[in-house]
Amino acid sequence: MNTVLRYIEPAGAILLAVIWISPLMFAFWAAFHSTSDAVNFNLFSAWTLDNFRTAWDGAPWLRYFLNTFLLVTVVLIGQFILTTLAGFAFAKLDFPGKNFVFILVLMQLFILPEVLIVENYAMVSRLGLFDSILGVGMPYMASAFGIFLMRQSFKSVPIELHEAARIEGCGLLGILWRVYVPLAKPTYLAYALVSVSTHWNNFLWPLIVTNSPETRPLTVGLSIFGAPENGVDISVISAATMMSVAPLLLAFLLFQRQFVQAFLRAGIK
Amino acid sequence: MTNAPFVVMKAVAKRWNGQLGVEDISLDIDEGSFVALLGPSGCGKSTSLRLLAGLEIPDEGQILIDGRDVTTSAASDRNLSMVFQSYALFPHLSVAENVIFGLKVRRVPRAERAKKMKRALQITGLEGLEHRKPGELSGGQRQRVALARAIVAGQRLCLMDEPLSNLDAKLRNSVRKDIKKLQRDLGITVIYVTHDQTEAMSMADKVVLMKDGRIQQVGTPDDLYNRPANTFVAEFVGAPPMALIQSSVLGGFDASLTLGLRAEHVSIVSKGEGQLSCTVSEAEFLGSETLIGLSHEGTVGLSVLQPGLALLDEGTTVDIAFDAANLHKFNQEGDRMSEV
Repeated sequence: MNTVLRYIEPAGAILLAVIWISPLMFAFWAAFHSTSDAVNFNLFSAWTLDNFRTAWDGAPWLRYFLNTFLLVTVVLIGQFILTTLAGFAFAKLDFPGKNFVFILVLMQLFILPEVLIVENYAMVSRLGLFDSILGVGMPYMASAFGIFLMRQSFKSVPIELHEAARIEGCGLLGILWRVYVPLAKPTYLAYALVSVSTHWNNFLWPLIVTNSPETRPLTVGLSIFGAPENGVDISVISAATMMSVAPLLLAFLLFQRQFVQAFLRAGIK
Repeated sequence: MTNAPFVVMKAVAKRWNGQLGVEDISLDIDEGSFVALLGPSGCGKSTSLRLLAGLEIPDEGQILIDGRDVTTSAASDRNLSMVFQSYALFPHLSVAENVIFGLKVRRVPRAERAKKMKRALQITGLEGLEHRKPGELSGGQRQRVALARAIVAGQRLCLMDEPLSNLDAKLRNSVRKDIKKLQRDLGITVIYVTHDQTEAMSMADKVVLMKDGRIQQVGTPDDLYNRPANTFVAEFVGAPPMALIQSSVLGGFDASLTLGLRAEHVSIVSKGEGQLSCTVSEAEFLGSETLIGLSHEGTVGLSVLQPGLALLDEGTTVDIAFDAANLHKFNQEGDRMSEV
């Protein structure tokens, strides 16, 4: 009985892993083969890079990459600034209505961003940021998850360090910058990972709020590239998909160990 | 140097929602002196120190440092340094960066910073550890880093909050001497919080004994030991503490007095020759001498020291004698009465 159980668990894990990775494996397979070879799973067919050549010429990918890169950077910078300041205020400062405001912030966690799409659209238009990268990133900057994370991280900093820094002559922002931020480094790293992968993959909101190739991120570009009216070519679409996920995938494979450690240290799972 | 005291607390009080903080703390501290705030836990000694540091703002009263009213000044404007019980070293900074943290914040030029740091590390014997992180140091070394950080800026006032309580007994003795020497060599004023009377008595020029948020006595270690202001001081200071005897037990005194008597002034005499006949309640061998605890109705903490190993069985009856000149007299309220 015990020996059976011992094998069931790993077997289940392997099965789940295979199911999870199979679309990616198929896209990888299809990207390097001609369409007919790909769908027929002709294992001995020739490998080819033609699909990548076709896909690359089919859309302004470089521009899309740049847009996505700018988007995740802008969002991350905005989030770091806002969540740091808000998290610090909630963790270490006293102001009237603090708990009430904090509950309001936490309630944001229960609201799916998709619900707010219309309101966000109106807001971004009013601000004149329609069809701009800042407009795409803006609604995500005041992240409730980030504020909560920073608050927890700052709360765990011993009060003596705060007091020692005060006596050594630091002002409030100085203490935040010299003591709290460096001590929360693992949290920042873990949060950056979550944020970058979320916004790299975000699709619906950028689709709605962008209009031109100059602002369109990869996800939107890819979906337009693969839209049925352009003719469906599984291999070419797979090649384009591989190109869009490659940077994140490579980064994760290279820094896997650091990422996992950052998550463990920040206490997120 | 002027005659005005360096640090002055005038009728300072701090209360927390009805809970006891400190009340009516008045204190004059001369420049270059070593003052210990002593008392049982919860007596308000740490609160007093935090009020001085500017980490708390008093509800009443006034605090002056170097002639300047700093009652409501920020901690950073008071020109003092502090050593915390937990050392409060920044774990993400190396020893060197920890030491010069304050200098960097105050924008001291790089060359001067390096010079001051070198000297501080030299004084505290930390050379060679500059690049270690606090997590890689022993308890004693961390303690020295905290000291180095406190002296590097050359502040004239240094506050210490039980800096030795996280060290083992042996290290505590040597660091105690180091701190005292440091204070003397640098000529700084140290205000030192401790619950350990040995620390207070051995290091301080002046001891402030506190209880329940109020000062019980301010004086030299000699004052506290030999002229306790009240029965609390008498019972707190000294090991073993002073014995308290109801005057009715002895006779020959006004009734309702309390008499204090130190163990070293008591001797055991042969039966019938002593002033009091007591029962042995415990005997403790301390090495060079034996402490014999005695019990008698109307007395608390009566004991006698005998040289060498001199254990007595519990329950034995012994007679004790003492010179009436060595008795301390306290009135009904427990306050010391002027010498009769």
